[in-house]
Amino acid sequence: MLGFLKILARNVAQGPSTDPFPFAETHTPRRFRGKVTMDPAKCVGCAICRHVCAGGAIRIEPREDRSGYDFTVWHNTCALCGLCRHYCPTGAITMTNDWHNAHLQERKYDWAEHHFVPYLRCTGCEAHIRMLPPDLATRVYANHAHDLDFPALLRMCPKCRQVAAATRAAALNAPADVDDAASAGSGNGNGSRPAAKAAAANEETTPATPHTVKDGGRTDADTPRATAG
Amino acid sequence: MNFLKKLSVRSPWLYRINAGSCNGCDVELATTACIPRYDVERLGCKYCGSPRHADIVLITGPLTARVKDKVLRVWDEIPEPKVTVAVGICPVSGGVFRDGYSIEGPIDRYIPVDVNVPGCPPRPQAIIEGVIKARDVWMARLGLQE
Repeated sequence: MLGFLKILARNVAQGPSTDPFPFAETHTPRRFRGKVTMDPAKCVGCAICRHVCAGGAIRIEPREDRSGYDFTVWHNTCALCGLCRHYCPTGAITMTNDWHNAHLQERKYDWAEHHFVPYLRCTGCEAHIRMLPPDLATRVYANHAHDLDFPALLRMCPKCRQVAAATRAAALNAPADVDDAASAGSGNGNGSRPAAKAAAANEETTPATPHTVKDGGRTDADTPRATAG
Repeated sequence: MNFLKKLSVRSPWLYRINAGSCNGCDVELATTACIPRYDVERLGCKYCGSPRHADIVLITGPLTARVKDKVLRVWDEIPEPKVTVAVGICPVSGGVFRDGYSIEGPIDRYIPVDVNVPGCPPRPQAIIEGVIKARDVWMARLGLQE
Protein backbone atom coordinates (compact mmCIF):
# COMPACT_ATOMS: atom_id res chain seq x y z
CA MET A 1 0.00 0.00 0.00
CA LEU A 2 2.67 2.45 1.03
CA GLY A 3 4.91 1.37 -1.83
CA PHE A 4 2.21 2.27 -4.31
CA LEU A 5 1.85 5.72 -2.78
CA LYS A 6 5.59 6.23 -3.00
CA ILE A 7 5.60 5.40 -6.71
CA LEU A 8 2.61 7.65 -7.30
CA ALA A 9 4.26 10.56 -5.52
CA ARG A 10 7.48 10.06 -7.47
CA ASN A 11 5.68 9.94 -10.80
CA VAL A 12 3.70 13.07 -10.02
CA ALA A 13 6.91 14.84 -9.08
CA GLN A 14 8.78 13.67 -12.17
CA GLY A 15 6.14 14.51 -14.71
CA PRO A 16 5.52 12.64 -17.95
CA SER A 17 8.35 10.69 -19.54
CA THR A 18 7.07 11.36 -23.04
CA ASP A 19 9.56 13.09 -25.30
CA PRO A 20 8.25 16.61 -25.86
CA PHE A 21 9.45 16.67 -29.45
CA PRO A 22 6.79 18.04 -31.79
CA PHE A 23 5.88 20.73 -29.27
CA ALA A 24 9.32 21.44 -27.81
CA GLU A 25 12.94 20.67 -28.52
CA THR A 26 14.10 17.13 -27.90
CA HIS A 27 17.39 15.89 -26.54
CA THR A 28 19.92 14.90 -29.19
CA PRO A 29 23.09 13.15 -28.10
CA ARG A 30 26.20 15.14 -28.95
CA ARG A 31 27.69 12.32 -31.02
CA PHE A 32 24.45 11.32 -32.72
CA ARG A 33 25.16 10.36 -36.32
CA GLY A 34 23.07 12.76 -38.36
CA LYS A 35 23.61 14.39 -41.73
CA VAL A 36 27.05 14.06 -43.27
CA THR A 37 28.91 17.28 -43.88
CA MET A 38 32.18 18.04 -45.63
CA ASP A 39 34.75 20.78 -45.22
CA PRO A 40 35.98 21.71 -48.72
CA ALA A 41 39.11 23.32 -47.28
CA LYS A 42 40.38 19.96 -46.07
CA CYS A 43 39.26 17.68 -48.92
CA VAL A 44 42.03 16.31 -51.15
CA GLY A 45 39.70 14.44 -53.50
CA CYS A 46 41.14 10.99 -52.79
CA ALA A 47 37.58 9.56 -53.09
CA ILE A 48 38.08 6.95 -50.37
CA CYS A 49 34.71 8.14 -48.98
CA ARG A 50 33.03 7.31 -52.27
CA HIS A 51 34.77 3.93 -52.27
CA VAL A 52 33.62 2.90 -48.79
CA CYS A 53 30.14 4.45 -48.96
CA ALA A 54 27.60 1.67 -48.38
CA GLY A 55 24.71 3.43 -50.04
CA GLY A 56 26.64 5.06 -52.86
CA ALA A 57 25.65 8.47 -51.56
CA ILE A 58 28.87 10.30 -52.42
CA ARG A 59 29.65 11.56 -55.86
CA ILE A 60 32.92 13.21 -56.88
CA GLU A 61 33.12 14.53 -60.41
CA PRO A 62 35.97 16.56 -61.89
CA ARG A 63 34.77 19.43 -64.07
CA GLU A 64 35.55 19.30 -67.75
CA ASP A 65 37.28 22.68 -67.75
CA ARG A 66 39.61 21.33 -65.03
CA SER A 67 38.72 24.11 -62.66
CA GLY A 68 38.04 21.67 -59.84
CA TYR A 69 35.68 18.92 -58.81
CA ASP A 70 32.15 18.73 -57.50
CA PHE A 71 31.51 16.86 -54.28
CA THR A 72 27.96 15.78 -53.57
CA VAL A 73 26.53 13.68 -50.80
CA TRP A 74 22.87 12.77 -51.24
CA HIS A 75 21.27 12.35 -47.82
CA ASN A 76 18.46 10.27 -49.27
CA THR A 77 20.68 7.26 -49.79
CA CYS A 78 23.12 7.84 -46.94
CA ALA A 79 22.88 5.05 -44.36
CA LEU A 80 24.55 7.25 -41.72
CA CYS A 81 27.07 4.47 -41.06
CA GLY A 82 29.99 6.89 -40.66
CA LEU A 83 32.46 4.91 -42.77
CA CYS A 84 33.33 8.00 -44.82
CA ARG A 85 34.19 9.89 -41.66
CA HIS A 86 36.22 6.96 -40.38
CA TYR A 87 38.29 6.57 -43.53
CA CYS A 88 38.71 10.24 -44.48
CA PRO A 89 42.48 10.78 -44.24
CA THR A 90 42.21 14.52 -43.70
CA GLY A 91 39.16 14.64 -41.45
CA ALA A 92 37.25 16.61 -44.06
CA ILE A 93 34.08 14.57 -43.64
CA THR A 94 32.25 14.83 -40.35
CA MET A 95 28.76 14.01 -39.20
CA THR A 96 26.54 16.57 -37.59
CA ASN A 97 23.89 15.57 -35.10
CA ASP A 98 21.19 17.13 -37.27
CA TRP A 99 18.46 14.53 -37.73
CA HIS A 100 15.78 16.85 -39.22
CA ASN A 101 15.62 14.86 -42.40
CA ALA A 102 11.91 14.65 -43.20
CA HIS A 103 11.11 16.56 -46.38
CA LEU A 104 8.48 16.78 -49.08
CA GLN A 105 8.84 14.82 -52.29
CA GLU A 106 9.54 18.00 -54.32
CA ARG A 107 12.83 18.37 -52.49
CA LYS A 108 13.89 14.76 -52.85
CA TYR A 109 16.68 15.35 -55.33
CA ASP A 110 18.11 18.50 -53.78
CA TRP A 111 18.23 16.96 -50.33
CA ALA A 112 21.99 16.88 -50.69
CA GLU A 113 25.13 18.65 -49.64
CA HIS A 114 27.08 20.08 -52.50
CA HIS A 115 30.57 21.57 -52.58
CA PHE A 116 32.84 22.77 -55.32
CA VAL A 117 36.52 22.18 -54.60
CA PRO A 118 38.77 24.23 -56.89
CA TYR A 119 42.05 23.10 -58.38
CA LEU A 120 45.00 25.46 -58.61
CA ARG A 121 47.86 25.70 -61.08
CA CYS A 122 51.17 24.27 -59.97
CA THR A 123 53.70 27.10 -59.63
CA GLY A 124 56.32 24.90 -61.28
CA CYS A 125 54.66 23.28 -64.29
CA GLU A 126 51.18 24.86 -64.54
CA ALA A 127 49.44 21.51 -64.04
CA HIS A 128 45.97 21.51 -62.48
CA ILE A 129 46.34 20.17 -58.97
CA ARG A 130 44.44 20.02 -55.73
CA MET A 131 46.33 22.05 -53.16
CA LEU A 132 47.79 19.96 -50.36
CA PRO A 133 45.76 21.02 -47.30
CA PRO A 134 48.06 22.76 -44.80
CA ASP A 135 47.24 20.59 -41.80
CA LEU A 136 47.85 17.46 -43.85
CA ALA A 137 51.17 18.90 -44.99
CA THR A 138 52.28 19.58 -41.44
CA ARG A 139 51.72 15.92 -40.68
CA VAL A 140 53.48 14.67 -43.79
CA TYR A 141 56.46 17.00 -43.32
CA ALA A 142 56.48 16.64 -39.54
CA ASN A 143 60.30 16.46 -39.40
CA HIS A 144 60.89 19.29 -41.85
CA ALA A 145 58.62 21.93 -40.44
CA HIS A 146 61.57 24.12 -39.49
CA ASP A 147 63.47 24.12 -42.80
CA LEU A 148 60.74 24.18 -45.46
CA ASP A 149 58.91 27.02 -47.17
CA PHE A 150 55.39 25.70 -46.66
CA PRO A 151 53.21 28.14 -48.60
CA ALA A 152 55.33 27.68 -51.72
CA LEU A 153 55.51 23.92 -51.29
CA LEU A 154 51.75 23.49 -51.02
CA ARG A 155 51.20 25.17 -54.36
CA MET A 156 53.38 22.70 -56.25
CA CYS A 157 52.38 19.45 -57.91
CA PRO A 158 53.94 16.27 -56.49
CA LYS A 159 56.56 16.14 -59.25
CA CYS A 160 57.67 19.72 -58.78
CA ARG A 161 57.82 19.15 -55.03
CA GLN A 162 60.14 16.24 -55.72
CA VAL A 163 62.35 18.38 -57.91
CA ALA A 164 62.35 21.14 -55.32
CA ALA A 165 63.33 18.70 -52.62
CA ALA A 166 66.16 17.34 -54.74
CA THR A 167 67.49 20.81 -55.58
CA ARG A 168 67.30 21.78 -51.99
CA ALA A 169 69.19 18.68 -50.93
CA ALA A 170 71.84 19.29 -53.60
CA ALA A 171 72.22 22.88 -52.47
CA LEU A 172 72.72 21.78 -48.91
CA ASN A 173 75.34 19.34 -50.16
CA ALA A 174 75.28 17.21 -47.07
CA PRO A 175 75.23 13.46 -47.79
CA ALA A 176 73.47 12.58 -44.53
CA ASP A 177 70.69 14.99 -45.36
CA VAL A 178 70.24 13.89 -48.96
CA ASP A 179 68.77 10.54 -47.98
CA ASP A 180 66.30 12.14 -45.65
CA ALA A 181 65.20 14.86 -48.04
CA ALA A 182 64.95 12.46 -50.98
CA SER A 183 62.72 10.08 -49.10
CA ALA A 184 60.48 12.90 -47.95
CA GLY A 185 60.41 14.37 -51.44
CA SER A 186 59.54 11.12 -53.14
CA GLY A 187 56.94 10.40 -50.51
CA ASN A 188 55.09 13.38 -51.74
CA GLY A 189 56.34 12.91 -55.25
CA ASN A 190 54.53 9.94 -56.65
CA GLY A 191 51.51 9.99 -54.43
CA SER A 192 51.02 12.33 -51.56
CA ARG A 193 47.80 10.64 -50.55
CA PRO A 194 49.09 7.15 -49.76
CA ALA A 195 51.91 8.70 -47.80
CA ALA A 196 49.49 10.86 -45.93
CA LYS A 197 47.28 7.89 -45.27
CA ALA A 198 50.17 5.88 -43.95
CA ALA A 199 51.07 8.75 -41.68
CA ALA A 200 47.46 9.09 -40.60
CA ALA A 201 47.16 5.36 -39.98
CA ASN A 202 50.30 5.45 -37.90
CA GLU A 203 48.91 8.27 -35.90
CA GLU A 204 45.56 6.65 -35.37
CA THR A 205 46.69 3.19 -34.40
CA THR A 206 49.55 4.30 -32.20
CA PRO A 207 48.84 7.80 -30.99
CA ALA A 208 51.84 7.87 -28.67
CA THR A 209 54.33 6.67 -31.28
CA PRO A 210 57.65 8.48 -31.12
CA HIS A 211 58.85 10.21 -34.26
CA THR A 212 61.39 7.55 -35.13
CA VAL A 213 58.77 4.85 -35.65
CA LYS A 214 56.57 7.12 -37.73
CA ASP A 215 59.55 7.95 -39.89
CA GLY A 216 60.34 4.28 -40.32
CA GLY A 217 56.81 3.56 -41.51
CA ARG A 218 56.89 6.31 -44.08
CA THR A 219 60.31 5.42 -45.42
CA ASP A 220 59.34 1.76 -45.79
CA ALA A 221 56.21 2.67 -47.68
CA ASP A 222 58.10 4.96 -50.02
CA THR A 223 61.23 2.98 -50.73
CA PRO A 224 59.84 1.04 -53.73
CA ARG A 225 58.56 4.21 -55.29
CA ALA A 226 61.83 5.98 -54.69
CA THR A 227 63.72 3.26 -56.55
CA ALA A 228 61.14 3.03 -59.31
CA GLY A 229 60.96 6.76 -59.85
CA MET B 1 -21.22 22.04 -39.80
CA ASN B 2 -17.88 23.23 -41.03
CA PHE B 3 -16.66 23.25 -37.46
CA LEU B 4 -17.73 19.64 -37.02
CA LYS B 5 -16.00 18.75 -40.24
CA LYS B 6 -12.81 20.35 -39.04
CA LEU B 7 -12.96 18.51 -35.76
CA SER B 8 -13.63 15.17 -37.34
CA VAL B 9 -10.59 15.18 -39.60
CA ARG B 10 -7.99 16.05 -37.01
CA SER B 11 -7.02 12.44 -36.51
CA PRO B 12 -5.32 10.82 -39.47
CA TRP B 13 -4.97 7.11 -39.01
CA LEU B 14 -1.72 5.50 -39.94
CA TYR B 15 -1.15 2.31 -41.83
CA ARG B 16 2.18 0.56 -42.26
CA ILE B 17 3.33 -1.35 -45.31
CA ASN B 18 6.53 -3.33 -45.17
CA ALA B 19 7.83 -3.50 -48.73
CA GLY B 20 10.69 -5.88 -47.99
CA SER B 21 12.28 -3.90 -45.21
CA CYS B 22 15.00 -5.27 -42.95
CA ASN B 23 12.65 -4.47 -40.03
CA GLY B 24 14.86 -1.70 -38.68
CA CYS B 25 12.45 1.01 -39.76
CA ASP B 26 9.48 -1.10 -38.65
CA VAL B 27 10.93 -1.32 -35.18
CA GLU B 28 11.30 2.45 -35.14
CA LEU B 29 7.71 2.80 -36.37
CA ALA B 30 6.50 0.54 -33.57
CA THR B 31 8.57 2.58 -31.12
CA THR B 32 7.09 5.81 -32.44
CA ALA B 33 3.54 4.75 -31.73
CA CYS B 34 3.52 2.01 -29.16
CA ILE B 35 5.64 3.26 -26.30
CA PRO B 36 4.74 6.33 -24.26
CA ARG B 37 8.12 7.94 -24.77
CA TYR B 38 7.50 8.95 -28.41
CA ASP B 39 3.71 8.65 -28.39
CA VAL B 40 2.55 9.63 -31.88
CA GLU B 41 -1.04 9.35 -30.62
CA ARG B 42 -0.66 12.83 -29.14
CA LEU B 43 -1.16 14.05 -32.70
CA GLY B 44 -4.39 12.12 -33.04
CA CYS B 45 -2.69 9.44 -35.10
CA LYS B 46 -3.10 5.77 -34.48
CA TYR B 47 -2.19 2.62 -36.30
CA CYS B 48 -5.07 0.77 -37.85
CA GLY B 49 -5.24 -2.83 -38.97
CA SER B 50 -7.06 -2.35 -42.24
CA PRO B 51 -5.89 -0.31 -45.20
CA ARG B 52 -9.50 0.80 -45.75
CA HIS B 53 -9.42 2.83 -42.55
CA ALA B 54 -6.12 4.55 -43.23
CA ASP B 55 -5.33 8.15 -44.13
CA ILE B 56 -1.54 8.20 -44.00
CA VAL B 57 0.43 5.21 -45.18
CA LEU B 58 4.00 4.67 -44.01
CA ILE B 59 6.03 2.49 -46.35
CA THR B 60 9.33 0.90 -45.37
CA GLY B 61 11.64 -1.26 -47.44
CA PRO B 62 13.07 -1.08 -50.96
CA LEU B 63 10.10 -2.78 -52.70
CA THR B 64 11.40 -6.23 -53.48
CA ALA B 65 10.23 -8.03 -56.61
CA ARG B 66 8.41 -10.64 -54.58
CA VAL B 67 6.35 -8.20 -52.54
CA LYS B 68 5.72 -5.58 -55.21
CA ASP B 69 2.29 -6.71 -56.42
CA LYS B 70 1.02 -7.19 -52.88
CA VAL B 71 2.18 -3.75 -51.84
CA LEU B 72 0.52 -2.12 -54.83
CA ARG B 73 -2.71 -4.02 -54.17
CA VAL B 74 -2.82 -3.03 -50.51
CA TRP B 75 -1.90 0.55 -51.37
CA ASP B 76 -4.77 0.70 -53.88
CA GLU B 77 -7.21 -0.31 -51.16
CA ILE B 78 -6.48 2.80 -49.11
CA PRO B 79 -9.21 5.35 -49.83
CA GLU B 80 -8.41 8.76 -51.28
CA PRO B 81 -7.26 11.24 -50.17
CA LYS B 82 -4.27 9.35 -48.86
CA VAL B 83 -0.78 10.56 -48.07
CA THR B 84 2.21 8.31 -48.64
CA VAL B 85 5.29 8.60 -46.47
CA ALA B 86 8.47 6.75 -47.37
CA VAL B 87 10.29 5.86 -44.14
CA GLY B 88 14.00 5.06 -44.36
CA ILE B 89 16.42 5.41 -47.22
CA CYS B 90 15.28 2.17 -48.87
CA PRO B 91 11.88 3.28 -50.16
CA VAL B 92 13.24 6.75 -50.93
CA SER B 93 16.19 5.73 -53.09
CA GLY B 94 16.81 2.01 -52.72
CA GLY B 95 19.44 2.76 -50.10
CA VAL B 96 22.16 0.16 -49.76
CA PHE B 97 20.08 -2.29 -51.81
CA ARG B 98 19.82 -0.01 -54.83
CA ASP B 99 20.31 -1.79 -58.17
CA GLY B 100 20.02 -5.20 -56.50
CA TYR B 101 18.66 -7.98 -58.71
CA SER B 102 15.53 -8.40 -56.60
CA ILE B 103 14.82 -4.72 -55.97
CA GLU B 104 12.04 -3.00 -57.90
CA GLY B 105 12.23 0.27 -55.98
CA PRO B 106 12.65 3.12 -55.29
CA ILE B 107 9.02 3.18 -54.39
CA ASP B 108 8.13 6.37 -56.25
CA ARG B 109 8.45 4.48 -59.53
CA TYR B 110 5.08 2.90 -58.73
CA ILE B 111 3.49 4.96 -55.97
CA PRO B 112 3.24 8.75 -55.72
CA VAL B 113 5.16 9.55 -52.55
CA ASP B 114 4.44 12.79 -50.66
CA VAL B 115 6.91 12.88 -47.80
CA ASN B 116 10.35 11.28 -47.47
CA VAL B 117 11.96 10.49 -44.13
CA PRO B 118 15.48 9.26 -44.92
CA GLY B 119 17.57 7.54 -42.29
CA CYS B 120 18.82 4.05 -41.64
CA PRO B 121 16.62 3.93 -39.66
CA PRO B 122 15.30 7.44 -38.94
CA ARG B 123 14.96 8.12 -35.25
CA PRO B 124 11.41 8.22 -33.84
CA GLN B 125 11.42 12.00 -33.63
CA ALA B 126 12.23 12.20 -37.34
CA ILE B 127 9.33 9.87 -38.11
CA ILE B 128 7.04 12.07 -36.02
CA GLU B 129 8.31 15.07 -37.98
CA GLY B 130 7.45 13.23 -41.20
CA VAL B 131 3.98 12.37 -39.92
CA ILE B 132 3.39 16.04 -39.10
CA LYS B 133 4.42 17.02 -42.63
CA ALA B 134 2.18 14.29 -44.01
CA ARG B 135 -0.71 15.56 -41.91
CA ASP B 136 -0.25 19.05 -43.38
CA VAL B 137 -0.32 17.58 -46.89
CA TRP B 138 -3.44 15.62 -45.98
CA MET B 139 -5.20 18.69 -44.55
CA ALA B 140 -4.34 20.64 -47.69
CA ARG B 141 -5.78 17.86 -49.79
CA LEU B 142 -8.99 17.99 -47.80
CA GLY B 143 -9.08 21.75 -48.33
CA LEU B 144 -8.59 22.48 -44.64
CA GLN B 145 -5.48 24.49 -43.90
CA GLU B 146 -4.71 24.74 -40.23
